[in-house]
Amino acid sequence: MGESIQVEVVYAKAERQELVRLKLPQGSTIQQAVEASGLLARCPEIELAKAKVGIFGKLARLDTALRDKDRVEIYRPLIADPKEVRKQRAAEGKVMKKGGGPAEE
Amino acid sequence: MISAILVMALGAVVLGAALGYASIKFKVEGDPLVEKIDAILPQTQCGQCGYPGCKPYAEAIAKGEADINCCPPGGDEGIRKLADLLGREFKPLSGEHGVEKPKSVAFVDEQFCIGCTLCIQACPVDAIVGAAKQMHTIVAAQCTGCELCVEPCPVDCIAMVPIAESVETWKWRYPVFEIKPAGTAR
Repeated sequence: MGESIQVEVVYAKAERQELVRLKLPQGSTIQQAVEASGLLARCPEIELAKAKVGIFGKLARLDTALRDKDRVEIYRPLIADPKEVRKQRAAEGKVMKKGGGPAEE
Repeated sequence: MISAILVMALGAVVLGAALGYASIKFKVEGDPLVEKIDAILPQTQCGQCGYPGCKPYAEAIAKGEADINCCPPGGDEGIRKLADLLGREFKPLSGEHGVEKPKSVAFVDEQFCIGCTLCIQACPVDAIVGAAKQMHTIVAAQCTGCELCVEPCPVDCIAMVPIAESVETWKWRYPVFEIKPAGTAR
């Protein structure tokens, strides 16, 4: 113990993205990282108890222990309902691409 | 006779030690040419050159496998710098790899993002924050403008927004001096 890990905490809004680099003691959790980042004070709209968090694109729980060079991400909910978007696009006659491949004719 | 041999042997030992020390002290890691080429490339990691990133393309140039005009994001300016470094002739960007565009960053239209993570998987520099069924947002400061996330999006909600030239983004242009034929200059 006594070693520290380097992590980033990021909270991204469309027009402004907050990215904080932190040095934390080994074994710190996501919750500790978010609290240490000061983002809760800068962005009062974050409700840590409700917000979904994760590490590098994977959802994780607040008590997950961090590893060196992790990026803690605080997520925001979707605005669009995925089902509705799909329906709308189908109604407009646009082809939905599946699995990221090019749309089939 | 003996003393002459001793002097020569001593000289050999001293010089050998000096050379041995120098080879450890001034050891060069990797290929310095690759590093120099890589420093000129724009680090978009877009793969438009046909290599999986800027470093592999730099290695290919250093080995002589790739030409210097295959990098659309670098543009004519990048090719000029590479030509300078490698002592080669400047040649215009080869059309098959794409065209030079103004530097842009990707932007997600939040009204349509369905949280599918396909753009996150495509991003070569981890510039997109998001997870399954959560809003995906592009960290503009880390986006290289490679456009690799645009194609995978199933709802076409990612657009490339050109960066306006500001004090932070302005760069020195590569100086180009037109050489006028002697007769026309007056």
